[in-house]
Amino acid sequence: MAKKQTAVPEEASRYGGGPALGYRALPGIADEMLGADGNVRPVWQRLLATLGSMNEANLADRFSRADRYLRDAGVFYRAYGKENSERSWPLSHIPVLIDETEWATVSTGLVQRAELLERVLADVYGENRLVKGGLLPPALVASNPEFLRPIVGIKPANGHFLHFCSFEIGRGPDGNWWVLSDRTEAPSGAGFALENRVATTRAFSDLYAESHVHRLAGFFGAFRDTLQEHKQHADDRIAVLSPGIANETYFEHAYIARYLGFMLLEGEDLTVVGGRVMVRTVAGLKPVGVLWRRLDASFADPLELNQSSHIGTPGIVEAIRSGSVSVVNALGSGILEARAFMAFMPSICRHLLGEEQKLPSIATWWCGQEAERRHVANNIERMVIGPAYSTRPFFDDDGQSILGASLRESAKTSIGEWLTSDGGKLVGQEVVTLSTTPAWAHGRLTPRPMSLRVFAARTRDGWQIMPGGFARIGTGDDVAAIAMQAGGTAADVWIVSDKPVDRTTLLPAEESFTRNLPGSLPSRAADNLFWLGRYIERAEGTLRILRAWHGRFAESADPNMPLLKDVSDYLAAHGIDTRQPVPGNLLSSIDSALSSAGNIRDRFSPDGWLALNDLSKTARKFHASVQAGDDATHAMTILLRKLAGFAGLVHENMYRFTGWRFLSIGRYLERGLQMTGLLGHMSGPEAPDGAYDMLLEIGDSVMTHRRRYNVNTAAPTVTDLLALDALNPRSILYQLNEIKKEVELLPNAFVNGQMSRFCRETMRLHSGLAIMTPEAMDMAVYSRLEQDLQGLSDLLAQTYLG
Amino acid sequence: MLYDISLKITYGYEAPVSGGRHLVRVLPVSIPERQRLVAGSVTCQPAPDERLEGRDFFANHTTSILFRSAHDHLVILMKARIQAETPAITADLSPPLGALPAELAGLWSVDSESPHHFIGPSPLLPAVPEIAAYARAIAGENMTIEQIGASICNRIHRDFVYDAEATTVNTTAAQTFELKRGVCQDFAHVMIVALRSLGIPAGYVSGFLRTLPPPGQERLEGADAMHAWVRFWCGTNCGWLELDPTNDIRAGTDHIVVGHGRDYGDVAPVIGVLKGYGSHTTEQAVDVVPVG
Repeated sequence: MAKKQTAVPEEASRYGGGPALGYRALPGIADEMLGADGNVRPVWQRLLATLGSMNEANLADRFSRADRYLRDAGVFYRAYGKENSERSWPLSHIPVLIDETEWATVSTGLVQRAELLERVLADVYGENRLVKGGLLPPALVASNPEFLRPIVGIKPANGHFLHFCSFEIGRGPDGNWWVLSDRTEAPSGAGFALENRVATTRAFSDLYAESHVHRLAGFFGAFRDTLQEHKQHADDRIAVLSPGIANETYFEHAYIARYLGFMLLEGEDLTVVGGRVMVRTVAGLKPVGVLWRRLDASFADPLELNQSSHIGTPGIVEAIRSGSVSVVNALGSGILEARAFMAFMPSICRHLLGEEQKLPSIATWWCGQEAERRHVANNIERMVIGPAYSTRPFFDDDGQSILGASLRESAKTSIGEWLTSDGGKLVGQEVVTLSTTPAWAHGRLTPRPMSLRVFAARTRDGWQIMPGGFARIGTGDDVAAIAMQAGGTAADVWIVSDKPVDRTTLLPAEESFTRNLPGSLPSRAADNLFWLGRYIERAEGTLRILRAWHGRFAESADPNMPLLKDVSDYLAAHGIDTRQPVPGNLLSSIDSALSSAGNIRDRFSPDGWLALNDLSKTARKFHASVQAGDDATHAMTILLRKLAGFAGLVHENMYRFTGWRFLSIGRYLERGLQMTGLLGHMSGPEAPDGAYDMLLEIGDSVMTHRRRYNVNTAAPTVTDLLALDALNPRSILYQLNEIKKEVELLPNAFVNGQMSRFCRETMRLHSGLAIMTPEAMDMAVYSRLEQDLQGLSDLLAQTYLG
Repeated sequence: MLYDISLKITYGYEAPVSGGRHLVRVLPVSIPERQRLVAGSVTCQPAPDERLEGRDFFANHTTSILFRSAHDHLVILMKARIQAETPAITADLSPPLGALPAELAGLWSVDSESPHHFIGPSPLLPAVPEIAAYARAIAGENMTIEQIGASICNRIHRDFVYDAEATTVNTTAAQTFELKRGVCQDFAHVMIVALRSLGIPAGYVSGFLRTLPPPGQERLEGADAMHAWVRFWCGTNCGWLELDPTNDIRAGTDHIVVGHGRDYGDVAPVIGVLKGYGSHTTEQAVDVVPVG
């Protein structure tokens, strides 16, 4: 980097402003960078020195490198309950640094906790000794919405309920760590932790290289290998089961699936046959042996669980019961997330493990019990009161929890009554003040409250704790503002060693090199790729016609001129209104393409995604502003160029997997349909003046026509070039040629050496057109061909996409 | 009393469905000192491609069936012979309402009969403030649990009109309460919500009624299809008691239990997921005949 060096005196003054660039911890609150004695903790010194040696511009430059990475990688999260609300990931650029010795203590505590949670789950869904023994009130099980009765009595196929969980931990004023909440259902964030790491190292690559920061890859690698061992059959697939694109962490599901090399599936992709879970692929049903579940358990099966679920797989509970599939985590694991459980963990730990909890939960009292209720009422100023079965920590539950201190002021007299009447539904938790960590705000380091999300994975060598995780950082001093939805940020967590660390990456080592076999493309993904191709091509076809239309309108300014009227009628039949310069239906095609692409984010390069988003945004802008005539012609040209950019990305960069073939067939088929419809409409004996020239322009074939035929434009030559010329990439025959090539390479194109029905039909259409002459191409032929092409699309759907 | 019971559920599909999976709960359970399943069978037409028998959490019989090929109708036929015992009418030993929380707190169990499953809201039955107020007005200070149950049962019978056209299978308890009309499922749901609002554990019972009454008695409402009533927990001494709000009577020998649940969703006779489009029709035919 060729940045100018800052003058030395200024550096000195900045660093000399205090031991920590003027950073001061808040009174009575622990801080990550400053120890209890007010001195900078040793692990932070190198980072401070780096920051101190930089000026504002250096730093801004470094931060923007991180932001650019996140933008380019397409990292986003989605706000609850809002459509199209992808937000860019709010990275806090300063990592949180923790010494590995301290981390070892945290890890030991969390390993014990994970093991304890497993034992409790196995008991709740098994023998229920904890309830019978008086250690767990029955209501915590029976009234818990996450208690799934159909799971009772099922022994997990892989022997365990919990495999991947996360913990929200925070440091209290005395410097000790506390567990704020347990995530046992389908914890999110591990993928974001990876992305935080990559982004932060873009900003501090030098620092990262010379500090001994523990790598994250080994943790993921160990978990991946363990999941591989859960397979019962060699041909079993492993998949991440996602609720779909509407979920706020869908990006992460796609990211993790891609990072670990698993399939990304939704409930709809799966079916249960003979007690086994199968994925519908374009090559037929294939067995799935391991599901890393990111779907809330109650939605997994509309037959035995939530009957209103549309995102589940009917019969999957039956398959789990038969022991043929390993589900990570087991359905029903979410029961432990209820806050009230924390109140009973200390005694359960003593009972089951014969030891104290090494990393305690924040003090919690369930108000369903007399003595506990009294304690909460008597100490109300130090309490947060919240729903007993809530699975979210108190600082991130949309205001369902109330600070006891605020209660006393408003409704003092009724607290006791309230706690008595609603007791079983409430917990009191001791208010904890979280520690602060430096964040960059107002041009300097500023203390902000933070909590850490830490991940634990069950591996063949027992529980492993991810060395790192991600820190959630509040915007102000307010603990409640930590939640990302409320405007908080996320920072990377560096566990720093004083010795060199293992630098594992998940790039495969040479000896483990394998080439994954193609042919297991899920039917739903193929469907989305096929329609992505069709919508993109539909948009292009419409744009070409509109551009030609507006070019002529700019000259004549008369929309009732026979040619323009004729084309307007044709477009109107396809729902396109030429009175709108950039018609709404064109936007729908582009948006449909975008939504198809969104459903297959895991198979799609971020570049392609950005190109499509850009196209959609530009089209929307034009829709609002562009005028008919020249302005519109120009706008269409810009949009066509952007489309060509996307098509180029797909054509040049996309691996020729089966998925690519479906995308291509979609494009060829739609282009064939468009050209057939247009020729059928515009090339009859009553074609208006100028129709053939316009057709050539739409078909991008003006130059070719001039070179190939020594005559003026007329029906036979235009038909020859646009319908029957196998070398013209816009002709109908060309499309059929290409479709034929792709179709022969699809799975099951030949069954016992015989062509499949779909293959035969493609062949029939191709040969039928190949033997035609221009003179024979009349409206009846075009109309039949249009129907046949439509039929081919339906047949493809029946054969591969069902 | 020995009964021969037959149930025939017929689905007609407007457009053939290309496949489907169903969970069927129609075969009566055996309950000690209440009824015994002497013999029984569930058959389907067309014959399913896969079939699996089981028991759910509440010990109800389940039959899971899978169809892989197209069909335009489905008939589920259940035949059973049931030995029904005449319940002994015992004295009311249930505690007053105020004593119930202590009894519940002393019950450290979550097995399928435990009242703890029936206290809180269930998937189809969230709390309804209006029904809670209705229940509060009925429950007197000094009444026992059993008396409260009987009073609510009686009031629902009096305040609500039996009307098969007013509601559907998806009508909520709040809607029924507003309409003051419905069928056995609706009345059972309202009564369950009312009892739970007072802290009394209450659940849904699905079953059959004897088709023709004994000589000299009136025919009961709900005998020509599957029926539903309520059971509620009257403390450790009395246990569960069954009342039928549709007919304002105790469930007796003429009430044959198919299954228990927290609400209709737990014991719906057929839950299905079909591959296809278009509407379907359903018919139910029930025959409950005493054979000795």
